[in-house]
Amino acid sequence: MSQQAKPLKILIADDTETDRRILEAIVRREGHEVISVCDGQEAVTAYEREQPDIVLLDALMPRLDGFGAARQIKELAGEELVPIIFLTSLSDTESLVRCLEAGGDDFLSKPYNRVILQAKIKAFNRMREMHQEVQIQRDQIASHNDHLMQEQTVAKQVFDNIAHTGCLDASNVKYLLSPLAVFNGDVIVAAIRPSGSMMVLLGDFTGHGLPAAIGAMPLASSFYGMVQKGFSMVDILREVNQKLKQILPIGVFCCASIVDMNFSKGKIRIWNGGLPDCYLHRSGTGEVEPIRSTHLPLGVLDDSSFKDDCLHFEMEVGDRLYMWSDGIIETRNPKGEMYGEERLQQVFAGNKVPGQVFDDIVNSVHEFAGGERDDDLSLIELTMAEPGQIDGGPRDYSPQRHSGMMEWSMDLELQPSTFRLFDPLPLLLNILVEVPGLRTHSGSLYTILAELYSNALEHGVLGLSSELKHTPEGFAEYYQQRQQRLDTLEEGTVAFSMDHRVLGDGGELILKVTDSGTGFDHQNNIDNPHKRVGYSGRGIPLIRTLCHSLRYIGTGNQVEVVFRWDGDD
Amino acid sequence: MGIQSHVSDDGKELVISIQGRFDFSAHQDFRNSYETLDSQPTRYKVDMNETTYLDSSALGMLLLLRDHAGGNSAEIEIVNCSPDVKKILTISNFEQLFTIE
Amino acid sequence: MTQSVDTETLAMLKEVMEDDFNNLINTFLDDARQRLPLLREQLAASDYEALRRTAHSLKGSSSNLGAMPLSELCFQVEHRANEHQLSGVEGILQEIDAEFQQVSDILSQF
Repeated sequence: MSQQAKPLKILIADDTETDRRILEAIVRREGHEVISVCDGQEAVTAYEREQPDIVLLDALMPRLDGFGAARQIKELAGEELVPIIFLTSLSDTESLVRCLEAGGDDFLSKPYNRVILQAKIKAFNRMREMHQEVQIQRDQIASHNDHLMQEQTVAKQVFDNIAHTGCLDASNVKYLLSPLAVFNGDVIVAAIRPSGSMMVLLGDFTGHGLPAAIGAMPLASSFYGMVQKGFSMVDILREVNQKLKQILPIGVFCCASIVDMNFSKGKIRIWNGGLPDCYLHRSGTGEVEPIRSTHLPLGVLDDSSFKDDCLHFEMEVGDRLYMWSDGIIETRNPKGEMYGEERLQQVFAGNKVPGQVFDDIVNSVHEFAGGERDDDLSLIELTMAEPGQIDGGPRDYSPQRHSGMMEWSMDLELQPSTFRLFDPLPLLLNILVEVPGLRTHSGSLYTILAELYSNALEHGVLGLSSELKHTPEGFAEYYQQRQQRLDTLEEGTVAFSMDHRVLGDGGELILKVTDSGTGFDHQNNIDNPHKRVGYSGRGIPLIRTLCHSLRYIGTGNQVEVVFRWDGDD
Repeated sequence: MGIQSHVSDDGKELVISIQGRFDFSAHQDFRNSYETLDSQPTRYKVDMNETTYLDSSALGMLLLLRDHAGGNSAEIEIVNCSPDVKKILTISNFEQLFTIE
Repeated sequence: MTQSVDTETLAMLKEVMEDDFNNLINTFLDDARQRLPLLREQLAASDYEALRRTAHSLKGSSSNLGAMPLSELCFQVEHRANEHQLSGVEGILQEIDAEFQQVSDILSQF
């Protein structure tokens, strides 16, 4: 007879036997299980024992009336929804109000009507089921949220550990970054280079939450690792870009500005890819120079298309550089208007004390937002200072103590069996680029090594004459002879001697190549540019353009090249 | 917020028009507009005539479209940008990747 | 003239209660026979609250059996007890006795 999919357990409490028996019969006919009691006290006990789905309570009962029983049952039920329907022929409003106040959900008046009772049971059961579902979902959401918060805490710790190595507490730095900024996609990293200059990167990843935070980890770790080792800004930019391009899905990228502030030269070098204009504030005149974004954000282009050209600016001591994410400009007031660039410019225009600009900006934005703190503000101010004034970086940074190989020398002598099978150039180059400052020059260094080695081997050890190369036929003949002589060579050596030392902000490499040959009249040959004929003789002039100096020593079987690099490169 | 798209009669050009705010909420609609086509067009036009705002996730979506359309060989025009929209595209230097009118 | 018991209600009850129907009728009659003297005692003692409860209970069960005139009379007693207005209740109790006799006759024969 019943349409009910699942029978319910229904508690009936009524002291009038006639009414109770009628109700029991109606409810049973609907297919439900009935628990029947005669007063409020029994109703509470039965509720605890049986945990019924719906409770039907008479209002007036001996011992404990329906109102008292309803209160106790609701309290026992806690978060569970137990519909209570009052059985009553009470007709005055005051009594009905008491039923509701006691926790009653509905009324059923006497005489009982089967159809109405059936409808009420159905409706309350649906409500009860929905309530349970909502609670399960609520608990799931709460547990997911707990899980997420826990993950974020761990992720934040990892990030803080990486980011902690920086110099954001240096005396010339002021910055604003919400504690959970990394989950807004904002990141600021700063470190002192071995040369004593300060490198700072402000980045804004697309998106929010973990996806936005993920890219910050490799970014910070590459940045700190490379700045410490003295890599150039261009190398760092390229490395970070390449890494992000490789890791991040298409569509996720990092708008960023990166600046290298050289205190000893009073200069900055800056690259802006996708962030709003950075401002250069002149303390003397109060003028503001915007530094426009001229590049695509990091993580968009692959290394071959990536553009690393930077802008250079002179800065007086006390001049300030401001970098920010779009959070400031896009801050909205209660009316929904954006803060915008003009308001930002007005803060600068109205400023009298350069040291106050940072606070003025922060206050102006907060005031505009209607006093509400916006977590999406990331802002950094860098002040040009006298060299040596900066006291935030780890102590072991100083121009005298470079990390990586800085002061060293080595000798390498190659013999005939080696010439035939082994190209020494990659080995030598690998050693040279262990000096971070030389890494950027690996192309030039390779050219120098290659030219000097082939001269020493071909002219010195193998005794080939470059005269041969003056005609196209001779050119081919030259390389044929080279191979024949190399195959039959029994004695002869080429020795490399390399010596690297610190020089100023950078270093100096002295490279000597000595061959076992008899040498040549270098005074009249190599040093005379007019001697260049045909297909040969281009090597040495090329080297001269790449290095500081080149000279032949003794009989001409020894050549010395001095290569200098600047820490500012 | 709405995304509408139509393919030219010769089937070679897809025009995607974006109304209102172009932000993360448009993600699925925007992708559907070019991923559900029977044949791949050779040119794309993104019409920003009725676009009021553009955020960085929209920039990401444009990169996704570019990748879908062949990456470096993609032919994508972004047209009818308001000054605000154009400014955001310019800050990110997207004119290096897209033809912006 | 109003019927003392609504036969439609009774027919419905018979269907719902099945074999238990006669039992129900007897239960009601026994219960009412116990409560009618109680009403007189409580009136004599001017125990408003007890009088109200007894009348309320009888009002409910008689309505459930379709004895609407009896239920209506009980309501009048309940109402007056609630208002502490006992004058005239004696008369109503006499009407209740007479009405109950009618109900009892009808139910016994149903």
